[in-house]
Amino acid sequence: MFLEIKDLSVKIENKNILKRLNLNINKGEVHAIMGPNGSGKSTLANVLAGKEDYEILNGRINFKDNDLFDLNIEERAQEGMFLAFQYPVEIPGVNITPFLHSAINSKRKRMNEEEIDNLSFAKLLKSKANDLGINIDMLKRSVNTGFSGGEKKRYEILQMSILNPDLAILDETDSGLDIDALKIVTDGVNKLKTNDNSFLIITHYQKLLNYIKPDYVHVMVNGSIVKSGGSEIAAEIEKDGFQKFQ
Amino acid sequence: MNIQDNYLKNKKNIFFSENKDIQSHREKLINIFENDRFDKKNNESLKNINLKNFIDFKYKYLIPEEKSVINNNEKNSYSIVSINGQCSSYKDDKIEITKILDEDYNDFSKNDIIENNDHFVNLNSLFLNSGFKIVIKKNNNIKIKISNIITDDDLTIFQKNNYICEEGSSLNLIEEYENRNNSTSNILNVIKLEKNSKLNHFLIQDNSPNHNLIITTHSSCKNDSTYTQKVYNFSEGYVRNFHYSELIEANSEADLQGIFFLKDNNTSNNKTFVKHLAEDCKSNQVYKGILNDRSKATYFSNTHVDQVAQRTEGYQLSKGVLLSDNASYFSKPELKIYADDVKCSHGSTIGPIDENAIFYLRSRGMSKIAATKILISSFINEELSSIDNEQMSEIINKKLVRYLSKVK
Amino acid sequence: MNSETLNTLDSYSKNKYKYGFVTEIDSEKPKKGLDEDTIRFISLKKNEPDWMLEWRLKAFSKWKKMKEPKWANLNFPEIDYQDIYYYSAPKGFDKKPKDLSEVDPKLIETYNKLGIPLEEQKVLAGVAVDVVFDSVSVATTYKGELEKLGIIFCSIGEAIQKHPDLIKKYLGSVIPAGDHSFSALNSAVFTDGSFVYIPEGVKCPMELSTYFRINAENTGQFERTLIIADKGSYVSYLEGCTAPKRDDNQLHAANVELIAFEDAEIKYSTVQNWYPGDEDGIGGIYNFVTKRGLCAGKNSKISWTQVETGSAITWKYPSCILKGDNSIGEFYSVAITNNFQQADTGTKMTHIGKNTKSKIISKGISLGKSQNTYRGEVSFLRKADKARNYTQCDSLLVGNQCGAHTVPYIDSKNNTAVIEHEASTSKINEDQLYYCRQRGLSHEEAVSLIVNGFCKQVLQELPMEFAVEAQKLVSISLEGSVG
Repeated sequence: MFLEIKDLSVKIENKNILKRLNLNINKGEVHAIMGPNGSGKSTLANVLAGKEDYEILNGRINFKDNDLFDLNIEERAQEGMFLAFQYPVEIPGVNITPFLHSAINSKRKRMNEEEIDNLSFAKLLKSKANDLGINIDMLKRSVNTGFSGGEKKRYEILQMSILNPDLAILDETDSGLDIDALKIVTDGVNKLKTNDNSFLIITHYQKLLNYIKPDYVHVMVNGSIVKSGGSEIAAEIEKDGFQKFQ
Repeated sequence: MNIQDNYLKNKKNIFFSENKDIQSHREKLINIFENDRFDKKNNESLKNINLKNFIDFKYKYLIPEEKSVINNNEKNSYSIVSINGQCSSYKDDKIEITKILDEDYNDFSKNDIIENNDHFVNLNSLFLNSGFKIVIKKNNNIKIKISNIITDDDLTIFQKNNYICEEGSSLNLIEEYENRNNSTSNILNVIKLEKNSKLNHFLIQDNSPNHNLIITTHSSCKNDSTYTQKVYNFSEGYVRNFHYSELIEANSEADLQGIFFLKDNNTSNNKTFVKHLAEDCKSNQVYKGILNDRSKATYFSNTHVDQVAQRTEGYQLSKGVLLSDNASYFSKPELKIYADDVKCSHGSTIGPIDENAIFYLRSRGMSKIAATKILISSFINEELSSIDNEQMSEIINKKLVRYLSKVK
Repeated sequence: MNSETLNTLDSYSKNKYKYGFVTEIDSEKPKKGLDEDTIRFISLKKNEPDWMLEWRLKAFSKWKKMKEPKWANLNFPEIDYQDIYYYSAPKGFDKKPKDLSEVDPKLIETYNKLGIPLEEQKVLAGVAVDVVFDSVSVATTYKGELEKLGIIFCSIGEAIQKHPDLIKKYLGSVIPAGDHSFSALNSAVFTDGSFVYIPEGVKCPMELSTYFRINAENTGQFERTLIIADKGSYVSYLEGCTAPKRDDNQLHAANVELIAFEDAEIKYSTVQNWYPGDEDGIGGIYNFVTKRGLCAGKNSKISWTQVETGSAITWKYPSCILKGDNSIGEFYSVAITNNFQQADTGTKMTHIGKNTKSKIISKGISLGKSQNTYRGEVSFLRKADKARNYTQCDSLLVGNQCGAHTVPYIDSKNNTAVIEHEASTSKINEDQLYYCRQRGLSHEEAVSLIVNGFCKQVLQELPMEFAVEAQKLVSISLEGSVG
């Protein structure tokens, strides 16, 4: 199994957020999790990435034959997990080039691959930026600093395409995007999709799923997955909302 | 006359002189004065001050003949006239007022503050001749207005007041200082806020040019209490506003704000100092000053965050507008931080009225003076519009109009 | 704070100082302590003219009557001025060597170890270096090339011999000997340092650089630097410093004076990495430095950039006196304190002339049990019409046992001048750390990256070759690893 979440219960500040949640993802699959606000979707994304504010009450997660709880944040990232943040944080003074260059090399180091040199990396970054329609001038700015919401999301996808993860988690990547930006972002995702990597897409609306076709759709309510199936579920939610699942 | 002679000569008129412990404490203070070289450079309490007025003064005090008035016409609302720093005793189920002289000495000394670096607080302790204590009883919501009156010329008032807001109480305190005679008031307020209490403290200062007002407050806040202070200084005489606040228990707040309007040769010295000594407390220090003619002002602000005071939020702002070539403003906004989980910031600006804004308004047909006045008003608009007491707002507006009428 | 953060912090606190080695070289010293004889000894060693000795003795008599300035937020035992050697020279330095072949190979080796090769062909292209080892200047590179342009770049000792007129006129003109006790002390006992004169209209084509090294034990270093930029000239000057690891505190009290005439510009950059003491606060340099620049002429400009990572105690306020109309003063500073280090540093901008402008950007980072204070004064005098100042000071706290303090003094006596001051203090942002680590960076790398980003506004002011070094130094000051 590529990713296996078993009976996961999580709390934060005395509030139970995830309750005995189960989810399996195989290599090459695209999964979507839909749910109303406060259902625990973003918590799941952050628990997978290893954010430290949460208390794991129960359950386990396996990722590529690792017990995920044995790995810290950066080790998970180096193993190929990528989280596209809902609200990417601004880091003033830190330029994207050295930032991503260090990131890609820490990953390569862990995988016992040769490090990539300055020049090749700069070329790689430029070409990927081109593919995503990102202006080269944007690469000169500090990470996420002074970006619009849409620019930040595009920037996340650029980083994803450089780091080429095995499992990409997209946390509400569609929120705050207009239709053109949404198209650029989803095109980027579709280009990256192969039979060897998997996607977990977290979204409130069905709109995103018109552009990225999921193999499975799960409905999450109140900290657990209450229904799973194919893309027909998304259409159901579009029509009737989350009411009937609650 | 120097301090020691003044003291020895008037000892019998000074409060608690017969008490041995206080006597020896006062002798220590005299020593401090005798040995201090009044180093203006390194002592914030001395900057811009004409020392002679305060060191070589003529001590004079009169016990008021008239009794002070305490009115309780409206429900939960009191109006007090304090004469020469004194106030009659009063008691009901909501508040209790006692003369400082009737206070137990031990109680009194517990609240005593020794400031090696603040000569004015020491002068107050040395020459204490008036004052009172007000207790707001548990869970009461009270309004008090105090008018301070000085009866004769040349009086030197050294007054100490204690305010205690008991648990769950709430006090709206308005103090008016409008003295027209040639006199000096040196007032020390010691304020204690018990759990979950609240004090909104307004000070309106509008003295004539020959009256000196030196006012110092020390407030301390326990759990979940809030102390808010707003100072409006329209005085034509010297005013010193020094306000210290300690947040001694969690979740308490201190908000110290002030505006001053100076003209002619007037000077004003201001200081706010907040000590965060517990977790999750908030503080705010905002002073704005407008200086015309040859006036001078200083503003020292200080946020001190102790090592235990995690999750502190502290904010400071100081703004000065110089209307004339000869006015000057000195500001020192200080942060001293020993805890890491804090959000603290300060900002400070000094400059003229924005010329572009004046140009803009003139291009709309306004005269230069009218434009200047509008921009001064807008500079302090936030502070004025936040006054939620209509009567007070009216009083302050009148004083502002009077000040602006002199701006040319 | 989670345990991982604490571990990282712990490893930072054990930061190792890679310049801590001692060079075994015989040195020549007078007796310990300070009196007129010591001063006469120094003056004699330097073969100085009588007027210089007189100047020193006058400063000494002032010093005897003065007390150390007390305003700083620093805590240290009283300095015993009689327990210090005031002069130390590698043996055989009675005469400065003519070229590198005459220099003791051990010395050349020392500088190679420090990453400062002295052979000209190995020196970074376009940087001329003057090297001061304990009390004497041991080598100055690229001298010939600079002479062709009329630029004087030599040790101050040499300048006293060869350019007495300039020294008589300008030495002590910006920092009077009696300014405060450390300037008086320096004036009495200064041993060496650099002298620069850029003639009218000349833009100095390369960075001028001095490298200071304290080697001998119990020795104070008192260097004196004087830079004069004549009308319309330009110079960029760099200064670096290191010292061996020793358990005693050593005193360093330098004076630096800059003078910029009409339309001239001086850019002065410092990377200060004196030995900071060990993780228990034992040893380290006491760094009491007075740096002051005078913008004497119209449209002149002086810009200070400093990266302060070393010293047990730093007491330093590079200042500008903006006398000429339209002159500009700038101060960019990064100060990092770790373990038991204490820094009280900032600037003083005195606006005298019309339309003068100043800008202050200060970044303080406190780690371990250190105390880091920004202290700065901006004043507008009566005639400083339309003067402007912008000040921004930000402090970052890493760990909960350190302190970060901001003490600005703001004084305006002119109603057309505008001053703006902003400051903030916060801890390192956990969301930024999480974001970086999610991209695969280690906790240490993430902290280093974020701190470097925090300092960027200052680091980008350094000359190119230096900026890279400074960035590394910032990382090293944070890391546990050795370079």
